[in-house]
Formats: sequence, structure tokens, C-alpha cells
Amino acid sequence: MTSHIRNFCIIAHVDHGKSTLADRLLHLTGTVPDRDTTEQILDSMDLEREKGVTIKASAVRMNYTAKGGEAYELNLIDTPGHVDFGYEVSRALKACEGAVLVVDATQGIEAQTLANLYQALDADLAIIPVINKIDLPSARPDEVAEDIASLLGVKADEVIRISAKDGLNVDQVLESIVRRVPPPKDDSASRLRALIFDSHYDSYKGVIAYIRVFEGSIKPTDTLHTFATRADMKPVEIGIFAPDMKPVQNLTAGEVGYIATGLKTVHDCRVGDTITLASAPAPDPLPGYRHPKPMVFAGIYPVEADDYPELRESLDKLQLNDASLTFDPETSQALGFGFRAGFLGLFHMEIVQERIEREYLLDVLFTAPSVEYEVLMINDEIITVDSPAELPDDESKIAEIREPWMTIEIITPTEYYGPIMDLVTKRRGIYKSQEYPAPHRVQLDFEIPLSEIIVDFFDELKSRTKGYASLDYQFLEYRPDELQKLEILVNGEPVDALAAIVHKKDAYHKGQRMITKLKEIIPRQLFDVAIQASAGGRVISRANVKATRKDVLAKCYGGDITRKKKLLEKQKRGKKRLKMVGNVEIPQEAFMAVLKLEEE
Amino acid sequence: MSYSLYFHIPFCTHRCAYCDFNTYAGQEDSIPAYVDALCKEIEFVGQSSHAERSGSTVEAHTLFFGGGTPSLLSPKRFEKILRTIRDHFDLIEDVEITVEANPGTVSFDDLKTLHSLGINRISFGVQSANPEELRMLERIHDFFDVIDAVEWARKAGFDNLNLDLIYGLPEQTLTSWRATVQRILDLHPEHISAYALTLEHGTPFGRWSARGLLPIPDPDLAADMYEWASEAFDAAGYGQYEISNWARVKDESRKLKDKSAAGSSSFIFYPSSFECRHNLQYWRGLPYLGFGAGAHGYANNYRYSNTLRIKTYIERMNEYRKSNIEFPLSPATVNQHHQSVGDDMSEYMMTGLRLTREGIAAPAFRRRFGRELSEVYSREINDLIQLGLLEWHEEACEGYESSQALRLTRRGRLLGNQVFIRFVE
Ligand SMILES: Nc1nc2c(ncn2[C@@H]2O[C@H](COP(=O)(O)OP(=O)(O)OP(=O)(O)O)[C@@H](O)[C@H]2O)c(=O)[nH]1
Ligand code: SF4
Ligand SMILES: [Mg+2]
Repeated sequence: MTSHIRNFCIIAHVDHGKSTLADRLLHLTGTVPDRDTTEQILDSMDLEREKGVTIKASAVRMNYTAKGGEAYELNLIDTPGHVDFGYEVSRALKACEGAVLVVDATQGIEAQTLANLYQALDADLAIIPVINKIDLPSARPDEVAEDIASLLGVKADEVIRISAKDGLNVDQVLESIVRRVPPPKDDSASRLRALIFDSHYDSYKGVIAYIRVFEGSIKPTDTLHTFATRADMKPVEIGIFAPDMKPVQNLTAGEVGYIATGLKTVHDCRVGDTITLASAPAPDPLPGYRHPKPMVFAGIYPVEADDYPELRESLDKLQLNDASLTFDPETSQALGFGFRAGFLGLFHMEIVQERIEREYLLDVLFTAPSVEYEVLMINDEIITVDSPAELPDDESKIAEIREPWMTIEIITPTEYYGPIMDLVTKRRGIYKSQEYPAPHRVQLDFEIPLSEIIVDFFDELKSRTKGYASLDYQFLEYRPDELQKLEILVNGEPVDALAAIVHKKDAYHKGQRMITKLKEIIPRQLFDVAIQASAGGRVISRANVKATRKDVLAKCYGGDITRKKKLLEKQKRGKKRLKMVGNVEIPQEAFMAVLKLEEE
Repeated sequence: MSYSLYFHIPFCTHRCAYCDFNTYAGQEDSIPAYVDALCKEIEFVGQSSHAERSGSTVEAHTLFFGGGTPSLLSPKRFEKILRTIRDHFDLIEDVEITVEANPGTVSFDDLKTLHSLGINRISFGVQSANPEELRMLERIHDFFDVIDAVEWARKAGFDNLNLDLIYGLPEQTLTSWRATVQRILDLHPEHISAYALTLEHGTPFGRWSARGLLPIPDPDLAADMYEWASEAFDAAGYGQYEISNWARVKDESRKLKDKSAAGSSSFIFYPSSFECRHNLQYWRGLPYLGFGAGAHGYANNYRYSNTLRIKTYIERMNEYRKSNIEFPLSPATVNQHHQSVGDDMSEYMMTGLRLTREGIAAPAFRRRFGRELSEVYSREINDLIQLGLLEWHEEACEGYESSQALRLTRRGRLLGNQVFIRFVE
């Protein structure tokens, strides 16, 4: 019987209030007592709490007695808003019949509002539009309601206006869910098909797969099978989130819950995969599985070389929860032993960096991010290069270098049209089309190389539009272009971790910027240090860091040797953190310098 | 082994803008109680040294009154302190007794009395001859005070004067520094110290520069100043013996040598110049006792220091109960570190290499640690020689066979930290 089940998710642009609305729903249904005043209850990671950003989707079951007196089982899935995690949103949507679309009354429609909405429509979900934050003085609920109405083809007064923070009108959201989200199909007699829409790792129970059962049912004693990874498993337990994990004896078609798989890595249990019964497998998996592909790559190195084993361990553990993180060992002549890691985007990369530093207390160095290039050699061999230093030096052997291109949609108030066009074309973007999804809002569609947007594009976009523009993007295709390696040489030695792949027309400018920056960052040493940028076998920029002449402590006061020694020890510790390139000491920040080239 | 004794006098009438020494302005009322406490500490340590050394008295060859501004004490108080010292320690006949003085706080009469008490070296904090610079430093004196003070000291009989200078001041030019050096040389001191300004955390200078109100001294310009001054001092007959210290050769070269020098590790090298014997004691890693608030000492395998605050110091010296405090510590000691051989060795390098003329003599190192300098630190020494910061120097020394000494090169003098850090942990 599924007529009293409703599965829905909350979708929105970043920070429009999904997690806060979820809090209110949890309180209102008594799932979490009112006196629990934790905010963003479903954001359980420290990092999520601190940043106020949802990184992982989460699911929770609520029991709700509607105004008519009937009891319903509501399964809520909270999703991340950031574009890097779009794939998780798409999976979560697949697990639902309805979506609450939250729009911030002060911001209006933004890029992920649209991106997520289109995905939800694609998945055939019933949409419940909600305007949030109407308590704020700067709220423009009427205007935003008009925009939503024209977007969805509904009446403006049908859009529920709430304050998730104060709880105003949130009861109406619950009622709408019951009325407007269709119940799941009752297909419990068919063979088992359950979608894994997320997972996390639990040190006692192994990988916990978040699932939506579409057909058939699961008992704790069943032997299960995964389609894509072809793993068989005896679950440790099955259960529901209420909101903590609570074992149950049965999960049937239409329900949302979890399977504690006992599996040791998330690789065996991938988001998007389908679970069936080993004894009576369904003929086909549910449609649409794809493995999220990393788009951005960077080197990760321990600041203290001794931390290498700990770094490997922390990456292993992070991967348990995050199947989209990839890494392989890498060695740099400048930075020693480390890893080449792949991420969904720059935000994902930042999150990984912070988690390594905070959850594993490791000091790490991330090199400047790069995309993955395809290099066609003249002998027709194709090599992929995700680390610029690996690009073959001999240009005559290279037929073509291809790089990933993206389609991007930028939504902005119309007055920022000009600055955005300027920004995108400066970065090799190509204008495709425009639309007006709402009055005063324009959506600009471009194609642009990914390498041009991974470095400070988003910040630049925000600063040119006073924070109003938002952005969504998808992979388009690989395209060839006039690309070349920009190398940095320190006292004649190329520094692998500072190499970059750039467009030929940008090489000169970027090389100069890089040299200027490095000259500021590299401290004076005991000898002159020459820094050069070279591209296509030519030195295009150079500078000299003059040898230091004075570095000595003055007076030893009244025989206070101890203080002097401490100062020297401190200086020595600081020196140890510098990276040696040949005999030149280079501070960590130099390796991120390319990220800051566009500043000033 | 002959000791050096240091006495800290933590009083100043006004705190200079760059100063982070342990000193206090406006607490002059505590001077009498402080001097009493200081005498108690001298007595205490004197007695515990007797006990430690089965009755024999510690011999001292230098006394140094530093501050703060020791010249704020009246001659009568010096008399009392010196009497207490003589009661508890054996001062050698040729003892060096230095008093630091602020040129704005001395009078001819007082200087005369101090000289008659046996004090034979005055160190004046001059810092600069430029009125603007002195004002910026918030010194309480002007250069006329310096001229008077030096003249009075000469008349009072002092034939060993040091003048302290600071270079690398914000907005200081090479021209103004040259003028300062020239005017200092005109006063014919026996000894000159020139220290680079460091902006210390917690001082007005530190705060102003952190807020961008004070131009940070240009290190290259400071290096030029140092080099120019080194040459000027050299030309004027001063010999450099430490990174920041220069001394004139004594006129009637009275070369004294300790009879027991050859075989013992406690030789005292009586310099034939006006080198400050007290400071040499620090650099050579020889023992010294520290008395007074915030004073540091190094003896009997301890590095130790006393409580910083005047009030606490006085309380501690008045209220202690006799317990088994080990020599050289006192009831005022708040930090003590028992030295390992490793500590001693690395500090020996770090201080010894500051001695630009003598450096670290290989035989002295061998005598002290029973190991070869060139072996213990072979890698560090080789690297630093390669970098042009260290050199081996052949010294023909009277009473010794010629011996190898490791010392800073000319260039290394300004890059001392780059050398020293190689010898610390
Ligand atoms: N004034 C006001 N603030 C709100 C309201 N709802 C949410 N907020 C605030 O908006 C910010 C973002 O809220 P979240 O619930 O974390 O937003 P989110 O959509 O889950 O964000 P992501 O998970 O990062 O996509 C928080 O600071 C909330 O306190 C509201 O109704 N009124
Ligand atoms: S006189 Fe010396 S001790 Fe006193 S405040 Fe000035 S610099 Fe510091
Ligand atoms: Mg959230």
C-alpha cells in the first residue's frame, strides 16, 4: 500500500534555504523535538555546519497527520545546491515523485534554480514552488512570485510564501505535498529494483546505501546484488532515517530507506547504481546510471614529507564517502611524493582540502588545478594529460591538443549583460543564445573551455555583478585549440608543479604575471635567483630575486641566549616548510600563485 | 673557572619606543626595596655556591650592571651592592666592572663616586647623534648630553667607555648615519656597539609598523650602513671582534695571560684591546650568574632566568623559606633548563660564531666536548663554507701552536642567522 507515502526532495539554488526548511518540517512533524534548536539538522558534517552549505544529500522519514486527519509517511531528501554536486541532485530527484522548489525572496530565480528545476521536470516530478525568506525587509515576494508563475505556468497566488526561519506558512507546504505529490506506484509484486541515490561510510556497518525501492521489496535476510559493480552482499541491516538510522524488517516499493551493506568501500556501491535480489534478479537496472567523472585535477602534497602515509590514509577514508574523488600517486621533483587527485569542480576540491586539514589534521599543499587534456600525437597515439608538466616537451611530435569545453548558463539581472559578455569573451567563451526566463532577468548561454572557468571565474562573475549573477554548466565536448605549455624555471631548472597549459595568445601575458607574482613570493636567498617563464622553447619573461644581504639578530640582551635560540629555531622551522627546487627555497603559496594572476 | 656576574636594574624614567627589554618606567619608588632584594639574592647565591663548592668562593672577573637604566641608582646604592658582592664572591684584581648609563641621567659628581667605588667601564646608550632620530626613538637625552657625559666620565677617571648605536632606523639615511658615526668617533670611545634596529612585537615601534605608520627599515640600506660603519671603525683603529662590537687596541698593551691557560678549559683570555670581557664570557659559552628581575644565568649545567616583574622579584627574595635550591638558582628563578650536551654544543656554535675575530677554535671545541668540531658538524660546515658564509682561519696564538678556528666570513657577518640556524634544532 503506497497511497499514503509521499517522496519528495527540496531543490533550490545555493543558500535559498533548503536545509532550513527541512528543519521546520522536521519540527512540525515532531520527527525532531522542537526544543532541539540545532540549525540545518540534516547537515551533519562539521564542515557543512560551519559553511552553512549542504555537501551531501540526506534522507529522513517523517510521519504526518494531514488536516483531513489521515496519516502519511513523508520521505524528505535534502540536496546540495552547489553546481559541483549536480549529479547528486539528479540522483535524488530520481528517488522522488515531487520536488519543493525553494526560491529566495530577496534573490529571485538563479542558475541552479533553473538547472534543478529542469532536472526535476525531466524526471517528471510534481513541483511545489515556494518563496522563502519573506521575513526579510529586502524580500520582493510579489515580483518573485510573478517570475515563478511565468516560469512554471501557474498562478502567482498559488506560490506558497514562507519564512523557513520563523516557520511562517510552513504547514501549507506540508499540506501541498500531501495533496499535490502523487503517491509512488505500488509495484511490490515485481522483482526488486532499488536505486542508490547516495551513500556514506559507517565504521561499524560499512557503506550505508541510501535507497529508493521502486519495485519489489527487501528483507534484512535477502542476498542483494548491484548491477553496475556486480557485487553480492548480505546486508548488515536495512532501515529508515528517522532521522537517525532505525532498522526495519521490510522496505517495499515506494519507500525510501537505507541498506547497511557491510561493504568496505563506496566503489562497490555506487550512487546511481541499482540493487536487486541475487536469487531473483530483475532483468534490467533502472535507467540513467553514470559514474560522475572528475573534471578538475590537482596535486596534493604533504607539507611535511613524513606525513605521506597519513595523507594516503585520509584520502582513502574520504573516498569511502565520496566516490567522485579520485587519486593516484604522483611524484614532483619540487614537492616530493604526493597524489594527483580528480574533483567534480573547484568547490569540491576546496571541500576535500578542508576536510583533509580539519578531519585529519594534516598540512597539505594543493597545486594549481588543471583540466584533463587529450593530446593527439603525430603517430596518432592519444594521451591524456591532467598535469601540465606531463605535456610532451617536443611540440613537433604533437598533432593537436584538445581540451574540455563546457556549456554555461549565466542568469543575471539585465543590467549586467555587458560586463558578463566582456568577462566570458576574454576567456575564449563563445556566445550562443539568450533567453528571458523572467522580467529583468536574462539567461546567457555560452560555450567556454573548462580551463577558463576553474580559476577564479566564479569570483570574477560575482564581483562584476555585485553578486547577482549565477552560473550553471555542463560538459560539452573536447575541442582542439592552440595550446602550449608555459614553464617556469628557477635558476634554470623547470619547476614541474608550476607548469601550466595555456592558450598561445595568453602565454606572454600569463608568463609575465606569473613572474611578477613569484618575484614577490620567493624570499631573497643567499644567492641571486633567476626566475623565467618559457613557452614554445622561448623565454618570455624573466626576473631576478637579489641575494639577501642582511639577516642577523642584533643584541643578545643580558646573556639571554635562550630567547635567541628560540628565535633561530622558529626561523629554522619556517625554513623547513619551504620547498626546495634545486637549492632554491620556495614558499608553499607560490604553487597556488597562478590562481591569483587575474587579481589587481 | 672564573665567572661573570650580571645585575639587572629594571628602571627607566621613560620607555623608549623600540625597547622590549625587561624594564619599567615610573616604578622608581621601588628602587630601595629592589636593591635590598638584589643584595639578598647575591648573598643567597654566594652562600649556595659555597655549599656547592665545599667552601670555596666563586671567583669573578667581570661585573656588569645592565638595564633598564642602572645609572638611575645613586652611588650609595652601588656601594651597598658592590660591598655585598665582595662579601660573597672573590673579585680578581683586574676585575672589569661595567655600568650602563643613559647620558641624560648622569652627573660629574656621581661618575666620580662610581669610579672611586671601583667601577671602571661605562657603557652609554647613545643610539644616534641625530636629534630627529633620537626624538623618534623617544630617548630622553640629546647629543649634547652625550658630549657632556663623555667629558665628565673622562674627568672622573674612566678610561674605558662604550657608546651604543642603533642603525637601520625608519627614515634614517646613509648620510645621517655617517654623521652619527663620525660624531661618535670624534668622542674617542674605547669601545663601540652598533646594533641593527629590530621591530619588536609589543613595542610602540612594532605597533606603528604593523599599522603601516612607520616605514620598515630597508634591509639593503641597513646592510650598506653596517658595511660603511665597519670600514669607518676599522680606519679609526677599532678592531671588530663580534658581529656588533668594535674595540680599540690598548695603548700600553698590557697583555696578561692566565697562568693555567694552556691545559685547562677555563682559560681567560685577557684581551689586549678594550674588548668587553663580560660579553666575551657570553659568546665563549663560559659561566655567568644573573641577579635581579629577569636576569639570565648560565652555570653548573643550568640556563636559568628570574621572574620578570619587580614586585614579584622583591616578594620572592623577601619571603622565601630556606629550601634546597641548587646553585646557581635562587628563590627568584622561574625558568631553569638543565643543559644537555647537545644544547651546550649547539649554543656554543651559535654564540661562538658571533665572535668575528676568534671564532670557534678547533682545540677549544675539542677540549670542551671531547670531539672534533670538523667531524661533529662536517656537513653544516661544508655547506656554509660553500655558501661563502664560514671560513677556517689559521691563528698563531701565543702559548699555543697555531690552531684552526672556524669563523664567519665578511659576508657572513650580516647573514649570521643563516649560519646559526644550521646549528640549532
Ligand atoms: N531571514 C531568513 N533567513 C533564512 C530563511 N531560510 C533560510 N535562511 C538563512 O539562509 C541561509 C541559507 O540557508 P540554508 O538552509 O543553509 O540554505 P540551503 O539552501 O540549504 O543551502 P545549500 O545547502 O548550501 O545549498 C542560512 O543562513 C539561513 O539561516 C528565512 O526564511 N528567513
Ligand atoms: S633606556 Fe634602554 S632599557 Fe630603558 S627604555 Fe630606553 S632602551 Fe629600554
Ligand atoms: Mg543545505
